[in-house]
Amino acid sequence: MKRPQATALAAIAGLSISFAQAAELGAVDEPIKLAVNEWTGQQITTRIAGHMLEQAGYKVQYVTAGYQNMWQAMSDGDLDAAVEVWASNVPQGYHQLHDAGKLEDLGALGLDAREGFVYPAYMEETCPGLPDWQALAECAASFATVETLPEGRLLDYPGEWGTPGADRIKALGLPFRAIPAGSEGALVAEFRAATAQNAPLLAVFWQPHWAIGAFDLRFAALPEGTEECYSDPAAGPNPDVTGDCDFIPTRVFKAAWPGMKEKWPAAHEILSNLTLSVEQQQPLMGAVDVDGRQTPEVVAEWLAANESAWRPIVDAAVE
Amino acid sequence: MTDRFSPGTRAAALTLLVGLACVIFAPLAPWLVKWPAALTVPATEWIGAVVTWLADALKPLARMGARALSWPMDWAGWALIQTPFPLTIGAVTALGWHLGGWRMAAGVLAGLGFVLISGYWAPGMTTLSLVAVSVPLALLAGGVTGIVAYKLPALRRPIHVLLDVMQTVPTFAYLTPLLLLLGFGPVVGLIASAIYAAPPIARNVLLGLERVDPDIREAAAMNGANPWQQLFLIELPTASRQIWVGVNQTIMAALSMVIIAAVIGGFDDIGWAVLLTMRKADFGNSLVAGLVIVIFAMLIDRLSGKLAETRPVYSARITWVILALTVICTLIAARHLPASNAINLLGGVTDWMNATLGRFIAAYGPLLNAIKTNAMIYLLLPLRIGFDHAVTPMTWGFQWSAPISAAYFAVAALLAAWLGWRGRLLAALVLLLAAGVLKLGITHLPWPFVLFGAGALGWVAGGRGLAAYAVILLAIILVMGLWEPALLSLYLSGTAVLICAVVGGLIGLLSALSPAMWRVVRPICDLLQTIPMFVFLIPVLMFFQIGEFSALLAICSYAVVPMIRYTRQGLVSTPEDQVEAAISSGANRRALLTEVRLPYAAPVILLGLNQTILYAFSMLVIAALIGTTDLGQQIYLALGQGDVGLGVAAGAAMAMLALVADRLVQGFARKQSEALGLE
Repeated sequence: MKRPQATALAAIAGLSISFAQAAELGAVDEPIKLAVNEWTGQQITTRIAGHMLEQAGYKVQYVTAGYQNMWQAMSDGDLDAAVEVWASNVPQGYHQLHDAGKLEDLGALGLDAREGFVYPAYMEETCPGLPDWQALAECAASFATVETLPEGRLLDYPGEWGTPGADRIKALGLPFRAIPAGSEGALVAEFRAATAQNAPLLAVFWQPHWAIGAFDLRFAALPEGTEECYSDPAAGPNPDVTGDCDFIPTRVFKAAWPGMKEKWPAAHEILSNLTLSVEQQQPLMGAVDVDGRQTPEVVAEWLAANESAWRPIVDAAVE
Repeated sequence: MTDRFSPGTRAAALTLLVGLACVIFAPLAPWLVKWPAALTVPATEWIGAVVTWLADALKPLARMGARALSWPMDWAGWALIQTPFPLTIGAVTALGWHLGGWRMAAGVLAGLGFVLISGYWAPGMTTLSLVAVSVPLALLAGGVTGIVAYKLPALRRPIHVLLDVMQTVPTFAYLTPLLLLLGFGPVVGLIASAIYAAPPIARNVLLGLERVDPDIREAAAMNGANPWQQLFLIELPTASRQIWVGVNQTIMAALSMVIIAAVIGGFDDIGWAVLLTMRKADFGNSLVAGLVIVIFAMLIDRLSGKLAETRPVYSARITWVILALTVICTLIAARHLPASNAINLLGGVTDWMNATLGRFIAAYGPLLNAIKTNAMIYLLLPLRIGFDHAVTPMTWGFQWSAPISAAYFAVAALLAAWLGWRGRLLAALVLLLAAGVLKLGITHLPWPFVLFGAGALGWVAGGRGLAAYAVILLAIILVMGLWEPALLSLYLSGTAVLICAVVGGLIGLLSALSPAMWRVVRPICDLLQTIPMFVFLIPVLMFFQIGEFSALLAICSYAVVPMIRYTRQGLVSTPEDQVEAAISSGANRRALLTEVRLPYAAPVILLGLNQTILYAFSMLVIAALIGTTDLGQQIYLALGQGDVGLGVAAGAAMAMLALVADRLVQGFARKQSEALGLE
């Protein structure tokens, strides 16, 4: 379990507060290329960031980019920034390039992301002890399927994001077996199918995500995820291992091509100071994914109604 | 062993002995079952180092090429998107009339009309701009390759191997090096699509040229044509029919790969729309987006297909009338028409589809679950982990034990003895082998047994050369340390092929017997082959959850198509004189089928089986999105970790498995053809 520690250290490093000060605009004639990834939350954050840059006087180009494959491109300057990067599933390639100084970490986005074991609300009737995690041990059989018998079934993250579910059930000694989901779509399809027929389901999932609200998913209360739990075996319910607890909140941050600071100093500052909270992002995600509206339109409305939330950052950078 | 026994019998007997020896000595020598890690070479690291070095060395050149290719694509995209949609639709409709009359014109109008109202007009045009460059590129590269292979017979074998590799190594496997090489953007997708789409045209150019009548060639030579004149003025035109078959297949293949461009990103195309809807498990919208690709494929295919046919001349006047109407409509409507991306009339339909899917699951959930549970318990688990692990009180209601094992083998031995006594020694040995495999499970098979078995099959099917080919390729997988995921892949695709052979064969047989049935089956086959398979993952997942059963269904739904097509094709193409001769000698319907049509169709059906095998392996990567742990998943892991070597090695291993299976089946097909005196 290297990742949560690394994540936590990075989070502490990210806390260093940068004081806003006016900067040069730089090459305003060349468009700043913002990466648009596959999920709605990221697309919303990107549109907000893009609008702020435009207000500062920049041209912005939105470039669709595969989250897994775009990092080399960003280190080459083919993409300039990605404004919502999740430490929990960022590919190894990001870390290699970042450590080599070919990508810059622009600090935390402030999105207080939560990861954990989720279940549909109706499972609290089948397994009355929930949300307490110890109830899972007693009700394991009601989560079982033919592939996992006699153990319960836990849907884990896709293989390439790591195996946080398998690690935790092992550390906590839960009688479950982790089945890796192949993709986010596979996880959501399972939620859809299970809630349509009130079937049992336990999965590793995250918030903010539209599915949490749409399918009324709840987090199981695992032992609190702390720094000690991941470094000291004595902490947590299992005295023999580390990592026998909940996830440490995932750091969600912004990353950029290192040349940005020189080329567009004010843009660099705006993106560094950009923050967005779950409370701000989640309703916008709902408007897109549940109500079926278009992202640019939803974001434009929000920007008009919440000018106080973003205008000061733009003003501080350019004036 | 004496000469009384056929080669098949001897090979099966030896394989059985090797298997027995492995099982007996396994407790003493665990390395017989599990290849020792100490003997695994770090091939993935070496491959990674070599590929990265190569990519870095070629980078400047490749980036220049990428930039050169992105210009025509940008122009095509700009032109297609800027053209008002009534103009595009009208012009293509006029082309449809010109090539194929009212039917074709109506087809074009309906197809493009659907694209327009689906709301995916602009992404669709972006996709077309990619196809507009990748198809000519693939045609050029493939065509030249085919001509080179024809002119230089010494190069034919290596070129065939190269084409096989291009078609079997999954694109995801070399995506990372390709990104390193070409940089970010749609050009990567373009190249990937061209790599996959070039082999059909190369194969067909070669085949067409080889089949040119020698008399024509001689006549040209006598008239003083030099070799190049002879090629371009005589041979290529003569082979044009076969070459057009290749052109059509290349177009189909290129369109089936547009989804890869979306995985990388860089432009907002229809594949990206499929990916986004897939991520939300939004079946209705992903189906609509997928259908847009199907429509493009069918329109380009039918229109280009008409070019190759001798066709009636359709009135040029009507072509001009359609064009004139188009221009007038465009001009009049220019002010009033909404932008193409503001049109989306299918929202209600997609919502209804999603709601229906939900209701269906709510109503039939327990039934679907029962189907899955039974298939898992009685078929998939025994095949994967064998009876001795699959049979437990939880599943079958009792525990597999030593006495049961003994009884099981006693029954198998009795059956085998009876078969042997009836003189069917080969069948008896195969029965014993199957019993052993089922007891152990495919993923627990000892590696010497698998290697020896593959070698034995190769020897029977094609002699020593094929045996060596099979053993060497499998040994490479073993030494690279990818044996376990490879066995899982073998289990998944092997089971899928088995199911497809039975189900597809039956459907093909029924389609051959009843034209009415074929009218229903044929469009379903077309749809299954061109729609991005991502679309079908959603309902399969919702019905049967993440797991092997869903993966298996996804593989089968794609791989069953060639089995159906070729079985039917083989059965209906029996020469009429053979059929009539059989009828006049008093054969009834049943005898006609089993004794005349089936033997004649056997080589064609085997070719279908071979295609089914290749398709099943190629689907493993898509099935990994459901959550398998085989080679397909290794490729995604490699993508996530940026591990170039693992990706390439896993892709190569997958191609090797497919090639071994393919060559074995081809070997048997050739023997069958020879036995029937067809070659």
